[in-house]
Amino acid sequence: MTEPRLSHEEAMDLAALYVLGALTPGEEAAVRDHLGTCSLSHAEIDELGGVVPALIEAELAETDLVEPPASLRDRIMAAAAADLDTGRTAPAQATAPRAAPVAFPSAAERTARAGRRRTSPFDWALRIAAVLAIVVSGAYALNVQAQLDQARQFDQAVAAVVQAGSQPNAKTVVLATQTGQRGAGIGAVQADGSVVLALRDLAATSGEQSYTAWVIVGNNPVNVGDFRVDASGIRSFTTKAGDTPVGAVIAVTLEAQAGNTAPAGPIVVAGQAAAPPPSSG
Amino acid sequence: MNESQLGPRGRTASPVDDADRAVLALVTAGQLDALQELYDRYRTMAYSIALRITTDASLAEDVVQDAFLGVWRNASRYVEGRGSVKTWVLSIVHHRAVDAVRRRRPTTELPDREDVPPPALTLPDIWDDVAAGLDREQIASAMNELSDVQREAIELAYWGGLTQQEIAERTGAPLGTVKSRVRLGLLTLRRALGGDDGAPDGLAGEGSA
Repeated sequence: MTEPRLSHEEAMDLAALYVLGALTPGEEAAVRDHLGTCSLSHAEIDELGGVVPALIEAELAETDLVEPPASLRDRIMAAAAADLDTGRTAPAQATAPRAAPVAFPSAAERTARAGRRRTSPFDWALRIAAVLAIVVSGAYALNVQAQLDQARQFDQAVAAVVQAGSQPNAKTVVLATQTGQRGAGIGAVQADGSVVLALRDLAATSGEQSYTAWVIVGNNPVNVGDFRVDASGIRSFTTKAGDTPVGAVIAVTLEAQAGNTAPAGPIVVAGQAAAPPPSSG
Repeated sequence: MNESQLGPRGRTASPVDDADRAVLALVTAGQLDALQELYDRYRTMAYSIALRITTDASLAEDVVQDAFLGVWRNASRYVEGRGSVKTWVLSIVHHRAVDAVRRRRPTTELPDREDVPPPALTLPDIWDDVAAGLDREQIASAMNELSDVQREAIELAYWGGLTQQEIAERTGAPLGTVKSRVRLGLLTLRRALGGDDGAPDGLAGEGSA
């Protein structure tokens, strides 16, 4: 875009129309360009832009709510899935077909995923905040006291992960639920290859049942520890030390008993160890 | 509900927004389920806004699809502190709907917004809190603070998606007048919506430009 450079005054003159999205694309690009290069204050743009949420509320207030057709969701999800296949940042398991039985990913799949994975622009600390936020907001909406206790419990679990994840070159992993399961979590890989995990929303174990954590490199799942979960569904757990390179899959299965050397139960949550953000620290 | 259950950044985020941010974080990580959750949270509002602006059901569907794909591809460009996820998502819908209408007007330069999020996104959190707490009457009464020409200019710009040249042609006012009407109108709205007490400093900046 080769728009003429705007002076600061010219750019600010367009600020109100800019925040309303009422500029032509060329004008808008010129304002953006100015904002990217000018060191003077543009506080008024923020001030003016602050009205936009109210305008949206006003717009909603004047709009008759109409349900979109159900087919629209399918279209959007199909388009988003197609997007994934064409090279968008690939998450650990989002490419798994929704209804397919969960299996340990093949080596080829993992290689393909690792190849598609770009360096995430996403600060992993925000992921922690995000997982926390789920708990906090859940606490607000549901059974307040019980949920808050859980939030605190999870908070402590997350604090352990944050501690581990803040070490230089610590790898991180976001564990997401697999089809038909519930659970979520985050983890950080320590220097000795052990993984500090904070997990939530897991079904409580009963009897001999046990969750087992696995580190999978190549086609070789290694049992790195067993643990049980109480009714809170929250668990802080540190796995055994081992080899946990970037790209290794960290998975948690629900097993009939502890100590299995190969997974027999379903994967509950899984994620892939990611390199630390390049500029972190 | 006070003390420690503030949002992760200590702001008094609404629980809804915290949950939205969590969902968006998972969208950023590329999780389709999270996109579907976000869609389900806002599909009705999004589609209704798109339908209102385009007055065309099939175009409205395209707009919503475009908007959510934009969210899917650009979730990482949403920055906390820029306002609520709801505002972000619905702004994208609004802008794409306006673009769709503009495309049908032969004289207008075709916007190619594609992956660019809408511009109005450097929103101080307080304004979302303010907006979230507003009811219909407060917004209506704030709109009533505007002069007729200010309201007309803002409506044409925001709801009508007209450019400054088009607003000038439509209203017969010079460009400079259009710009100052929109600006003063927004400042008036901001003051009216912010109430007397909680308005941040720098609000009365009308002499500064």
